Amino acid sequence: MAKIVAVHSYKGGTGKTLLSLNLAVLYANRGKNVCLLDLDFRAPSLHSILKVKNAEYWVNDYLNGVYDIKKVLVDLSKTHAKRGRLLVGLANPSTEAIREMSAKDRKWEMKALGRLLSLKNSLLNDMEIDYIIFDTSPGLQYSSINAIVSADIVLVVSGMDISDIKGTQRMIHELYDLFEKKTGLIMNKVFADFLSTKGHRQDLAKKLMNNSNLPIVDMIPCFCDILRTGGTKLFANEDPDHPFVKILNRIATTVEKL
Amino acid sequence: MTVRKLEGTQTRLLQKIKESLDRLNEKMEVFIELQKHNSKVNPEIPDVLDVMTLLSLPDHLRKTAITICRLEQGTANDVAEQTKRARAVESSYLNQLVMMGYLKKERRGRKAYFYVEKEVGDKTWQRS
Repeated sequence: MAKIVAVHSYKGGTGKTLLSLNLAVLYANRGKNVCLLDLDFRAPSLHSILKVKNAEYWVNDYLNGVYDIKKVLVDLSKTHAKRGRLLVGLANPSTEAIREMSAKDRKWEMKALGRLLSLKNSLLNDMEIDYIIFDTSPGLQYSSINAIVSADIVLVVSGMDISDIKGTQRMIHELYDLFEKKTGLIMNKVFADFLSTKGHRQDLAKKLMNNSNLPIVDMIPCFCDILRTGGTKLFANEDPDHPFVKILNRIATTVEKL
Repeated sequence: MTVRKLEGTQTRLLQKIKESLDRLNEKMEVFIELQKHNSKVNPEIPDVLDVMTLLSLPDHLRKTAITICRLEQGTANDVAEQTKRARAVESSYLNQLVMMGYLKKERRGRKAYFYVEKEVGDKTWQRS
């Protein structure tokens, strides 16, 4: 069944964009039709990672009510997907657009929520998209909460920093639970020794839970070679046997069943 | 013929009384609910149903409000189908949201439709 997945985090730099993009490519390689939307209007990044040049239309335009979603989407199926379709909606990276988006009022945000909610009909039904993946801004702000309310599933990515873990716990219980969202927690950039054996993984999960019920989906170790590429390598396509891609495949299967 | 006319008039009158009672009942339900949750209709509450407002609503109203956002517009019956709660309960919650200024209500025939108001010609729709 078709799903909207919002990838969110409490703090920035947890790996949301890397996970969203590779997850989108993995689903497309499995033959699914996928639409990935950059909803991080404060720090747009998909355009530079995917090296999309001369983009004319942005997700900003869709939320502003200027263009239809079909006009905004860039089709990367030929270059980035082996079987299914991969459509991408980019956030406008110009300083003017970032400034404009950060100055929107509450009425605009309300309409933006309506537009995100209506994507389910326009993309999932009319365009036969199987997965819509939202790459969101970190923390509690309008664009990310709009994305969470519109999504069926929230994948929250956290690093091992104590402030990140505590903030993520709060968001799970005070945000996602309030909106009755299915939530999956992905611990990212975990010190590799903590995941070296099954016993170590269980110990870490127990420690993270700390009497709180956290829906841990998976734990990804810190890969220096991923950091070294500086976001220029699309691992799902360029290095499909990499352990990171294997873990992401596992996550993709888990999300399919959520 | 005269008897039939009289019966017709009586039926219409009874129908009108029934509709008035239904409306009265709906209003009573709203007041009972408002009293139950110790809340007052406050004109200073901003009438924008954005996500921050959704977060601040009590759980039972949030569920109804999100459902209307998803449906764009709907009757108490439409909402009840989605939330799996009783129609009368949803009717009461929807009317509370109307009184709080978050939803608009429009009668079409015998049905009441609820929706989030969208202003046409708002500057925020224009491309700057």
